[in-house]
Amino acid sequence: MKVDLLVVEDLWKFYGKEVILKNVNFNVEKGETKVIIGPSGAGKSTLLRCINLLVRPDRGRIVLDGDVITERRDVHNIRSQIGFVFQHFNLFNHLTAIDNVLLGLIKVKRLSREDAMRKAKEALLSVGIAEDLWRKYPAQLSGGQQQRVAIARAIAMDPKIILFDEPTSALDPELIWEVLNVMEKLSRNGMTMIVVTHELGFAIKVAHEVMFMDGGTIIEKGLPEQILLNPRSERVRRFMERMWYLYSMDRKFWRSENAK
Amino acid sequence: MLNNILYILFNYGSALEVGLRHTIIITVTSYFTGLVVGLLIAVLRVYGGRWIRGVLGILVEIIRGTPMMVQLFFVYYALPEIGLLLNPVAASIIAIAINSAVYQSEYIRASISAIPYSQFESALSIGLTKSRAVLTIILPQAIRVATPALVNEAVYLFKYSSIAYFVTAPELMYIGKFIGSRTFLYVEMYIVLAAIYVATSIVLTELAKVIERRYVIPGLLKSKA
Amino acid sequence: MDWINNVQFFTYVGVILSSIGTTLALSLASFSIATIVALLLSFIEIFGPRPLVKAVEWYVKIVRGIPLILALFMFYYGLPRVGFPLPPLYSAIMGIALVDSAYQEQLFKGAIEGVSERQVEAAYAIGLTQWEVFRHVILPQAFRIALPGWINEFSMVLKDSSIAYAIGVTEIFTQAVHVAHVIADYLRPLLIVSLIYLCICYPLSQISSRFHKGLVEMGMMGS
Repeated sequence: MKVDLLVVEDLWKFYGKEVILKNVNFNVEKGETKVIIGPSGAGKSTLLRCINLLVRPDRGRIVLDGDVITERRDVHNIRSQIGFVFQHFNLFNHLTAIDNVLLGLIKVKRLSREDAMRKAKEALLSVGIAEDLWRKYPAQLSGGQQQRVAIARAIAMDPKIILFDEPTSALDPELIWEVLNVMEKLSRNGMTMIVVTHELGFAIKVAHEVMFMDGGTIIEKGLPEQILLNPRSERVRRFMERMWYLYSMDRKFWRSENAK
Repeated sequence: MLNNILYILFNYGSALEVGLRHTIIITVTSYFTGLVVGLLIAVLRVYGGRWIRGVLGILVEIIRGTPMMVQLFFVYYALPEIGLLLNPVAASIIAIAINSAVYQSEYIRASISAIPYSQFESALSIGLTKSRAVLTIILPQAIRVATPALVNEAVYLFKYSSIAYFVTAPELMYIGKFIGSRTFLYVEMYIVLAAIYVATSIVLTELAKVIERRYVIPGLLKSKA
Repeated sequence: MDWINNVQFFTYVGVILSSIGTTLALSLASFSIATIVALLLSFIEIFGPRPLVKAVEWYVKIVRGIPLILALFMFYYGLPRVGFPLPPLYSAIMGIALVDSAYQEQLFKGAIEGVSERQVEAAYAIGLTQWEVFRHVILPQAFRIALPGWINEFSMVLKDSSIAYAIGVTEIFTQAVHVAHVIADYLRPLLIVSLIYLCICYPLSQISSRFHKGLVEMGMMGS
């Protein structure tokens, strides 16, 4: 049976007169991995921040697991149920890797030190951060390692859903793989995820559904193969063409008609 | 000259000790009071409401814009006129603490704004409340960033506490002046005083460097551009 | 407050303000001397030979530890003992200049070192000589980096000039204390003298932070 874990209805966000999000609607099923793609400035990042209430939407409803979170006052309780992985990792610079994971477990979930420790270790191991790195500070870790610690920080909290905001955009190409690999594993294990990314390979392989955003709204959504290889709208088609070129993919996916 | 210096140290050693003790009491008390109050002012000036920010901003500008001497004279000589009589040591501590609180608040405020907003955002994302995010994520980093400035402030206060001399607090400078007038060995006395002040300030500075190096967090203290 | 009192109040203001010239002369003179000495010392510390670098380092360490009052006493009471009696005003100028030179040296040194390594590298990369790099890239940037701190430093000197009270220089603070003695009331003279200091220091601090903001916008300094 399919259960909607997250429902976003008629979401709007303005900065002054500028419309950042307009009429965004979608559902995320439990265990689903949803990938959002689109040009920069499309509102993808703002959308994720709205879901986590880091940014307050101006209109619309967000329902998480039957709970209308846009109407809740205790925002921090909601946030502790939603993981967030940032483009620039945003690990706490003054804490070691393991303390970064422990902080939320102890201060927010109020676990005992031993329980928190057990969970933190488990989370770190699950993202492939071995014990020799646990006592290192963020600045002593590579970008890929930092991002995996950030993912561990999110999953240790047992969130209902994890939001990824371009998690590999700030990484050197050779480090991207280790992060995507962890994310793929998470998805296969049934974690509900929304991923904003330009990694088309990841989208094709892992996503259950891909949404294309531009101008603050969802232009097209569907199966990965359809959106990435055979989009209906002209706007999406043009974008995808450039993306595939950038990633040096075989142009055989494209019909010759777009040569004109 | 050397004989005279030895004469002073031999005959007035215990008096100098009393002076040093008062200097230390004044410095340490006013420094830590200033640190606590300064921290509070800094946090309120960054996160407080409009009114609090405005009032504190004016207060800070007034204290920063006037000499510590004026503040000291105000506390010791003017407050009794409105019925608040303080002994010299207490008056010095209060005046220096107020002054220091304002300067320390400025150092801490500057380092709070040097912590990127993304740190705050990611603290919220794991479910910390705003106040907890400030307490556990922003302030610990800000205080470490501010440490060099805060250490300088301590060294500065140690020697600046000598202005308590003007309100007859029996600290090092006052005792030194007294010994000078007793022995007429003014120059020798100044040399002894300078030696004590300079030695203490160098020791304090070096000690702070050792502590800083010991508790350094890689990547955090990138103060140089 | 009745009219008579108001007249008196403005008389006090007049009396205290009559010494503003001494305060300004004292501050400007000692600040200028300190700047010249500090510039020389900072160049030596950065570009000079090793023994001289060490000497400057120790100069700064020692001078930074000397309380201003003590410096004033040393010049005023100490110099006559070795045959150079100086009047109070000049002793005060020397004392403040001495102490402030150490602070300004650190300011200038920090500013020169604060010029980003990448800027220097880029300057060499287009073929400038060492002198040209210094003259056209390091110096102009270091000047801008030092400017806000330098302005603040003048405020510090201006406020510290009140300590010249210790050796009887009649600048505005001394004058205010004299008035206080005569009228047996400290509150009003101290308020007046505070206002005078504020009128000079507050605009300076605004100008300084304006310059600082400009620096951050130009990317020459972290926020």
